[in-house]
Amino acid sequence: MKLRALLPLTLPLVFGVIVVVFAVQAPGFLSAGNLKSLVLNNFVLLAIVSIGMTYAVAAGGIDLSVGTALDFASFSFVVLLNSGHGWAVAAAGALAAALLVGLVNAVLIGGLRISPFLATLGTLFIGTSAQQLLSDGGQPIYIAQGLKLGVAGLTPLLVVLGLALFYGVLLARGRLGRELLAQGTQPLLAYYSGLSVRRIVTVVALATALACGVAGVLLGATVSAYVPLSGNAFLLNAIGAVFIGTTLSRQGRANVFGTLLGVLFINVIANGLLLIGWNFYWQQVATGVLIFGVLTFSFASRRLVELA
Amino acid sequence: MLEALLRRGSVGVFLAILVGFAVAAPNFLSVGNLANVFSQSAILGVLAFGLTCVIIGGGSNVVAGGLDLSLAANLGLCAAVFSRLNNVGLALWLTVSLTLACGVAVGLVNGLAVVLLRLPPLLATLASMNVLAGLELVLTENTVVSTDSPLLDLLSGGAWLGVPALAWVLLVTAGLLTLLIQHSPYGLRLHAVGEYPQAAEAAGLRNARYVLSSYLLSGLCAAVAALCSAAFFSGSTTGSGDMLLSVVAIAFLGVVFSRRLVASIPGTLFAALLIGFLINGFQLLNVSSFWVNGVQGVLILLVVAASSALSRGGHP
Amino acid sequence: MPALHLQHVHKRFGATLALDGASLKVERGTVHGLVGENGAGKSTLIKILAGIHTADAGQVSIDGQSYDRLSPRQVDALGVQFIHQERLLPASFTVGEALFFGHELRRGPFVDRRRQQREAQRLLADYFDLQFPAGALVSELNSAERQVLQITRALIRQPKILVFDEPSVALVKREVDQLLRIVRRLRDQGLSILYISHYLQEIDSVCDEVTVLRNGRDVAVVEPRHTSSAEIARLMVNREVQEMYPKARVALGEPLLQVKSLSLARRYRHIDLQVRRGEIVGLTGLVGSGAKELIKTLFGIEQADSGSVHLQGRLLRLRSPGQAIAAGIALVPEERRSQGIAPVLSVLENLTLAGLGRFSRWGLLSRATEQVETARLIDELAIKAPGPHAAVSQLSGGNQQKVALGKWLSRRSAVYLLDEPCVGVDVGAKVEIYRLIGRLVQEGAAVLVLSSDLPELLGISDRILVLHRGEIAGEFHAGEADSDQLLACATGAVPAAAVRAREVEHA
Repeated sequence: MKLRALLPLTLPLVFGVIVVVFAVQAPGFLSAGNLKSLVLNNFVLLAIVSIGMTYAVAAGGIDLSVGTALDFASFSFVVLLNSGHGWAVAAAGALAAALLVGLVNAVLIGGLRISPFLATLGTLFIGTSAQQLLSDGGQPIYIAQGLKLGVAGLTPLLVVLGLALFYGVLLARGRLGRELLAQGTQPLLAYYSGLSVRRIVTVVALATALACGVAGVLLGATVSAYVPLSGNAFLLNAIGAVFIGTTLSRQGRANVFGTLLGVLFINVIANGLLLIGWNFYWQQVATGVLIFGVLTFSFASRRLVELA
Repeated sequence: MLEALLRRGSVGVFLAILVGFAVAAPNFLSVGNLANVFSQSAILGVLAFGLTCVIIGGGSNVVAGGLDLSLAANLGLCAAVFSRLNNVGLALWLTVSLTLACGVAVGLVNGLAVVLLRLPPLLATLASMNVLAGLELVLTENTVVSTDSPLLDLLSGGAWLGVPALAWVLLVTAGLLTLLIQHSPYGLRLHAVGEYPQAAEAAGLRNARYVLSSYLLSGLCAAVAALCSAAFFSGSTTGSGDMLLSVVAIAFLGVVFSRRLVASIPGTLFAALLIGFLINGFQLLNVSSFWVNGVQGVLILLVVAASSALSRGGHP
Repeated sequence: MPALHLQHVHKRFGATLALDGASLKVERGTVHGLVGENGAGKSTLIKILAGIHTADAGQVSIDGQSYDRLSPRQVDALGVQFIHQERLLPASFTVGEALFFGHELRRGPFVDRRRQQREAQRLLADYFDLQFPAGALVSELNSAERQVLQITRALIRQPKILVFDEPSVALVKREVDQLLRIVRRLRDQGLSILYISHYLQEIDSVCDEVTVLRNGRDVAVVEPRHTSSAEIARLMVNREVQEMYPKARVALGEPLLQVKSLSLARRYRHIDLQVRRGEIVGLTGLVGSGAKELIKTLFGIEQADSGSVHLQGRLLRLRSPGQAIAAGIALVPEERRSQGIAPVLSVLENLTLAGLGRFSRWGLLSRATEQVETARLIDELAIKAPGPHAAVSQLSGGNQQKVALGKWLSRRSAVYLLDEPCVGVDVGAKVEIYRLIGRLVQEGAAVLVLSSDLPELLGISDRILVLHRGEIAGEFHAGEADSDQLLACATGAVPAAAVRAREVEHA
């Protein structure tokens, strides 16, 4: 009984230990400059995508097309800007493009009853093709000189916090969140309680895509270009972050706050190892091993507590 | 009706595509071109065989069933291992053995994570993929590690009876695995374990052993594919991670080429060749190769939608 | 020397005493029946025989040799084969593969599919005079054909003892007759057979001897030749009525639920029934009687082929549970763990799930409202839980069932469908649940209870409908019937033609 209560503390504890180790070993780790760079550059985009992924996992599935939605948004944003529309219109268009990807997923999963893994795999493939064709094989599209947008200082962070707040509250306290939870943990019960599976699946797919759309806009604005297929780089870390985040919940549920911590975990390790002077490539290994470790611990210990 | 269409139709579609390309592209059916397709499909094909073994042993329910996402990263690592060891000057037989051992060791770790730690295969192989990608980077420092070896020369340039060596590798691997998975008692039992674990247990089988062995097989396939890749690229390459999704697509597409609509080695072979012919045909017709991904995606969706419609409608 | 002899077997699972000194003796070359109600201990006894559980005390002898512990592999080697209720054959396998997997016929290192297929054809023709098309897959066979495969698979192992566990479930009459012919032929060929079934007609037809299990003990060993099915039924259910069935007098109102000529192929035919406001109608029938499917249809989980369902005079379209719920129908399903509750979610989350609209505004759930309502329900239903936020998995079976029922209470449904409401519930909680059901009808709802616990049905229902192989075989008023009659009707011991005249419902 007591053991179960302690489990959610694992991640923060390990995290704390790691931070301390890095602070001691690497002088610049806790400096304002480093933290600022860590948060603004690395953390933001992965965090937003991971927030979207949280919904997909909470609903009992997964979304492999998060990168696609992000890239579609980024593409639309740049193209719309370049054709003379203001940034607001461009952003709106970008979000619409991302939502389109989400809608396709919703139809595949909710309408055709294809499993989320395979449905989003298909979307990912089609989206990859589309991007390759539109960008002539991976050529970035740059925002025209006079139209470049700067992304002011803390804006990205505010976006993340705002999104996290909205998505987090909706998941934790909203009616949708409760329905999602039921669907993800006990789909038959959800059905027998009158919940509409189709509606839940659709909303999840759209919500995930929307978050990725926001990330796409941010990315496009930050690098002032659309770089094809750049979204895929976030996929695996997003999945990892979400599952790491589940260790924070007593019941092992996917949750937004835990996901953010998971993202931070991944970023901090990479950053810290870099500062310590570890070979960049060993960083990858270390990150991978740590993720493996946290997941193993989470699943194995939960099983042990259940059996006890 | 849909069932018959799916089963017999797929081969028909395959042939129709071949005929279409043959008509449209002058050199399509030339022996040289066909041989080319076979050998270019070798890497993806052998990887897909490994994934097929895992799917068969773990059940084809994607989230909870058998899956190995670390295959492509395993290939990258093994290719890097081979290149580095070869460059250090080890004897060929030792280099090859260690490369194969590396692949199998990865399979062992995956298998134990799934069977002992009870991690869902999706997560276990996702995590190990991360680790492997990192290890590969450590070995290659994110560059191509070129290497030279009589084995690689043989694989990339050799031919026997007019058929290129890589094509032989694809066909021989397919043949051996078909014998093992589709025709041996082990294979039949592996199918039982994956499809209906309770029935397998009631029949006295030890499910855990079969599941573990399927991961060992996939690790071995990754190592073999790594040798092919090393031959193709004269060393290790940095883009191996991109192969993963195509491999998954091929393994799931292969379902449609089997009479019983389950994952199978011959079916996967057909699917790999189908993709290979598509890519090749597009090249000959000067159609942008960027269409390939999209076509793969649409194919997967069609196949899965059709099979899931079938499985929901057909319970006696 | 008996082929099988289990003596004074005791088995306890936690707080439940499953077997209390049960004995079973199967003589060589006979068909021995085993009967008993749900919970009497049949399946535990069989699992001990199969080596899946180990007895706490008692002896298991096979062919004269006694064993302390048995493993499934040992049991298999000793010549005992089981025909389980689930077919346990992979759907994508061919007939040949399904027969031989695990003990494949080989040619060199490979499976000899051709020989397996030939052998399969031969065996099926020899044993059962049956032929399947070459290359047929298990998925293409119906349940009876798969069972034939199952039996053949067992026979290939050259068993001395065959155990049939509820073999006639999911079979139609013609197939049952064929099964019984097979059993008789196997006995004539020298096998010893243990035949477990609820259907007393079959027991009567094929068994040489029958052991009756009740409350974990064997209470009688009789010969069907000399003992009627009705007598066997009485031996099965005879028990002291310890439970109190609180029943209040409730004035019956107008018909709330009306079912007219409802039919679903292979499940039930021409079902007419109605439930009035304030009325508790009991429904019972053996597995395969169609009762379960009827309940599912009324909740929109399955769709009938023909017929209609009316609620308060309105014709209902029941295409999904959502529609049924919106119309005012509630269901407490039998499978509590997967359908009635979400074990990993909290009491609060479970109780509010069917009516989230009431607790949310602008898309957000109001914690206060939820907590107030949850507290009220916990209090009203006397749900014993560590707290409203405790996971429902931590509650006892009875309290879980209260949660499964409780989630409908805020909706004030018009009709409650209760499927085996007290299965796995301890006696104390049962009484509370009966009281709750009584309160439901007092407040104006109509209740349809499906139960295989006959004394329970008799205790709480106003009327009881008995289904047998898809048709209403009898209708009884609670005060005028007893368990034997119900069971006899359900098992078909009383032929449908001789059923009591059914009173026509009048308003």
